[in-house]
Amino acid sequence: MPTAPVPTPTPDKEDAVTPSFRLPTAAGTPYLFLLPGLVILGALLSVPLYKVVEYSLYDNVIVERNPTFVGLDNYRDILGDPGYWSAGFNTIVFTVGSVIGHMIVGIGLALLVNADIHPRARTFFRSMLVLPWIFTAVVVALNWQLLLNPFGLLNYVLDWLGLITEPLDWLGNPDLAMWSLLVISTWRGYPFIMVSFLSGLQTVPKELYEAAEIDGAGFWHKFWHVTLPQLKPVIFGVALLDLIWTFQLFPLVWLTTGGGPGRATEVLSTLTFRLAFVDFEFARAATVAVSILIISAAFTVLYLRNEARRL
Amino acid sequence: MTRHLPAWALAAATSAAALMPASLHAAEIEWLQWFAAENTGGFYEELVADFEAQHPDITVKLVTQPFGKVRESIVTDNAIGVGSDVLGLNMPWTTEFLEIGILEPLDDYLARDDNSFETDQLVEAPLGKIDGKTWMVPLNAFPFVMHVNMGLVEQAGFDAPPSSWDALAEQAAAISALGDGTSGLGMPFSSQPPSNGPILTFLPLLYANGGRIMDGTTPDFDNPKVVETLEFLQQLEQSGALAPGAASRTGGVDLEEFIAGRTGFLISPGVHSSSITSRNPELDYTLVRVPSNGAEAYRVHGWEIGISADSDNKEAAWTFVDYLLSPEVNARVAKASNALPGNLAALDTVRADADATLVKQMDILSGDTPVEEMRQSPKAAASWSLMTEELQSMLRGDQTPAEAASAVQARWMDLIQ
Amino acid sequence: MSRIEISNLVKMYGSHKALHGIDISIQPGEFCVLVGPSGCGKSTTLRMVAGLETISGGEIAIGDRVVNGLRPKERGIAMVFQNYALYPAKTVRGNMAFSLKLSKMPKAEIDRRVNEVAEILELTPLLDRKPAALSGGQRQRVAMGRAIVRDPEVFLFDEPLSNLDAKLRGQMRAEIKRLHQRLENTIIYVTHDQVEAMTLADRIVIMRDGRIEQQGTPDAVFHDPDTVFVAGFMGSPPMNLVDCMVTPGGLRLGGTELACTLPEGLRAGDRVTFGIRPDDIRPAADLPGGVPVTLPVDLIEQLGTEKLVHFRAGPHELIGKTGGRVDLAEGTEQRLAFDMAHAFFFDAETGQRIR
Repeated sequence: MPTAPVPTPTPDKEDAVTPSFRLPTAAGTPYLFLLPGLVILGALLSVPLYKVVEYSLYDNVIVERNPTFVGLDNYRDILGDPGYWSAGFNTIVFTVGSVIGHMIVGIGLALLVNADIHPRARTFFRSMLVLPWIFTAVVVALNWQLLLNPFGLLNYVLDWLGLITEPLDWLGNPDLAMWSLLVISTWRGYPFIMVSFLSGLQTVPKELYEAAEIDGAGFWHKFWHVTLPQLKPVIFGVALLDLIWTFQLFPLVWLTTGGGPGRATEVLSTLTFRLAFVDFEFARAATVAVSILIISAAFTVLYLRNEARRL
Repeated sequence: MTRHLPAWALAAATSAAALMPASLHAAEIEWLQWFAAENTGGFYEELVADFEAQHPDITVKLVTQPFGKVRESIVTDNAIGVGSDVLGLNMPWTTEFLEIGILEPLDDYLARDDNSFETDQLVEAPLGKIDGKTWMVPLNAFPFVMHVNMGLVEQAGFDAPPSSWDALAEQAAAISALGDGTSGLGMPFSSQPPSNGPILTFLPLLYANGGRIMDGTTPDFDNPKVVETLEFLQQLEQSGALAPGAASRTGGVDLEEFIAGRTGFLISPGVHSSSITSRNPELDYTLVRVPSNGAEAYRVHGWEIGISADSDNKEAAWTFVDYLLSPEVNARVAKASNALPGNLAALDTVRADADATLVKQMDILSGDTPVEEMRQSPKAAASWSLMTEELQSMLRGDQTPAEAASAVQARWMDLIQ
Repeated sequence: MSRIEISNLVKMYGSHKALHGIDISIQPGEFCVLVGPSGCGKSTTLRMVAGLETISGGEIAIGDRVVNGLRPKERGIAMVFQNYALYPAKTVRGNMAFSLKLSKMPKAEIDRRVNEVAEILELTPLLDRKPAALSGGQRQRVAMGRAIVRDPEVFLFDEPLSNLDAKLRGQMRAEIKRLHQRLENTIIYVTHDQVEAMTLADRIVIMRDGRIEQQGTPDAVFHDPDTVFVAGFMGSPPMNLVDCMVTPGGLRLGGTELACTLPEGLRAGDRVTFGIRPDDIRPAADLPGGVPVTLPVDLIEQLGTEKLVHFRAGPHELIGKTGGRVDLAEGTEQRLAFDMAHAFFFDAETGQRIR
């Protein structure tokens, strides 16, 4: 007898028990359900993406009513522009510095607020420490400007402590501006790391710490041998995510220093904006944006691979 | 027999009517501006309501953004085809916007007989033709002035505000020397957008020194008058007369510090006098001409109005602009912002109950030469952004005034190539 | 090899008293099993010995030292956890060597010890694997290996076999027993499984609601329970425990008279809890000296070598035993015999044994 179209389930094969829906009309059904989502995604993502790439291949778009196709000329111009490379270098300093700052402060605070203290105090500290995250960039920028300006609180305190004789212009001095920006960015961004790490900490089996304690491990040993290895995938994941975000972070820098003084804190995102809305060089702005996109995409692929491995 | 229509038919008829586009006869126009952001008293909402009452066929949608956002919005809205019909404008944007083709030429509208105003009564500067056409009309006008904290001036041992550069240098240094966080004068040279500090403070001083930065539409920054003015800034900095941290000082901070009573002098638009007096009534405040080095010229500024080239309702838009420029309405607008009217026919009405600071502004306007150069400058915003950078570097001591002047000139020329 | 002295140990969680003054005295080399239902305080006691829980009152001494204030690593203990608690990022070797490294032992000595213990536990081929690549039984052995390399004075086991399947559990039980014979360390072992307790222990401590119900050798607690709780807890299937009325000639069990001699002090009309193990209820033919009764058989459970016979006596259901080959039919009346020499009587109110 020829084989039946649908195999009869055999009790010794587990997977054969799963019923198989092979109705010809149903083959496309799942895709039909995906369609609305795909259409929206397509409209929201691919159209602007396509536009930006297209802009980067023309001479000055938007300003010119009939832009002409110039191929990769904009890319050649940008890559030959020292301003682009210096913004690129600043972006790396800002991104890597911020991520390191977020990690150190975020992990440190996560460990502190994970301590076994009174639950009400713990809730209080946890909510307080998340605050920097919920302010808008405008508020953050404004407050830090006030804090850091020559007649601001920080200079007042340093002066009172006798650490400085002249007030320092933290955001206006080219030697200090990037450091100040990193402090602000660290303050602004650590809560995400802290929260991720905190939820990660809660998944570490308590018994591991007890075992380590019995094995004679102190605080650092426990952190190094139990917490860190256990949370390595989480740390790697959030660090990459943070890297992707920070790499293209715009409002905080633009609103705090505007890329200055001079171009001391100019990063690729502020350069893009400057080219577009200050210089009205939309094609070159699109070109820089595409370069950001390529680098971010590379990080994103890394991130997705890491996530896939975790699951 | 038709006297009793069934209720459903009535309902259907009315809802069908409601669904019909109202614009068959009426037009809806959008007005993008920052003016309402600087007047939180609801004046512009009332103004729009008043206009709509007089013109039932037109509705005006007030779109308000902070000044720093408006320029970007106009450009992006235009790029994606959702531009507003009536635009609040700033003279320095003129050339930039022309290149993108955002603005509608207003000459034909201005030539109409039935306008509510006389074109030759309008403040002249914004009307000046570029590419042979007029692109905007003035809603109001104000000179750049120097706001003075008389309390600090007297504390430093002087009885009158400075009128010359020498006096300004002396008084500002003396006020800084009072200590306790006071400074003589602020220079808002932060790179943070709109980073237009130099055009707020440096240009008024330059004009009062008889200098200019443009030769027609060509940048002319490295001339002796500019260098002289830069040297004056450097001298102020070296004598400690300037507030520390010019490179991180934003225009907003500069104004706030003056309002808080920590700076002796503030060079900024005359309109600021209303926020100064309302925010700190305790301040012993007055305003004067920007101290001059002989020349009687001032930087003029104002809130301008234009019409979008892509607007579908240009007629309605003009009707609204015409309304704003009528002497009666224009006087109200001027008073609401403590500025001078764009339509000088309204001057007497405004003067009638003007306060002392406004009267002083009127004197400056009537006696001195108004100057506005940025409107003919291509890439105005980019140019003042790089002006900011070079002036930061000069005040830091990284280059001399002459070097700064040539650097600005070189970069500016590079920009417009 | 140390003595452990636990005296009047109290644990408070806020205002809740989890342990009500526990006294246990464990001899050097003794294998002591704490057993009881969940929530009885056995794990808490163990964790207090380990130093993982603070002591609210009383004293714990290991060897000659009172360890109340000492940190876990200072107490000379090693512990095997229920979920093994192996460091997932370390190899088997790394797991076993960790505590030795922390104590700054020379590397050669660490290697020698780890290799030796790995040999004993048959872990040598697995030394370079990570825990994720091990079976449950292998992980269990690594957890023990990690404890053994330290050569501690005392081993603490917290339900170490509860995550294993029944067959592996039997094997590991035997392995632990052999290990104890070989190492002769003092052991405290917590379990809720009375079979583990019986097979492993030198001393069983049966706990309930934060108190010790009874402690003694497996024989003593099984054959001479002090309370109805101990009687019911130890043994599988459990002892039959039935509330009965004392009659002039014995007991009334459901509708049936059970002729027997009762402890002194019990009067006709008293209520008493009567206890008898299933082993001591058999078909009358197998138990000539027993007290015969005829009762209906409800259910037969075939275990192989023997059968469990469920039968009814009035409202009560009792379990007896018979050989695996004896043929009994469910639903029939059977003549059974009770071996009243091994019967127990408990106060129906307090649960205390009446001897």
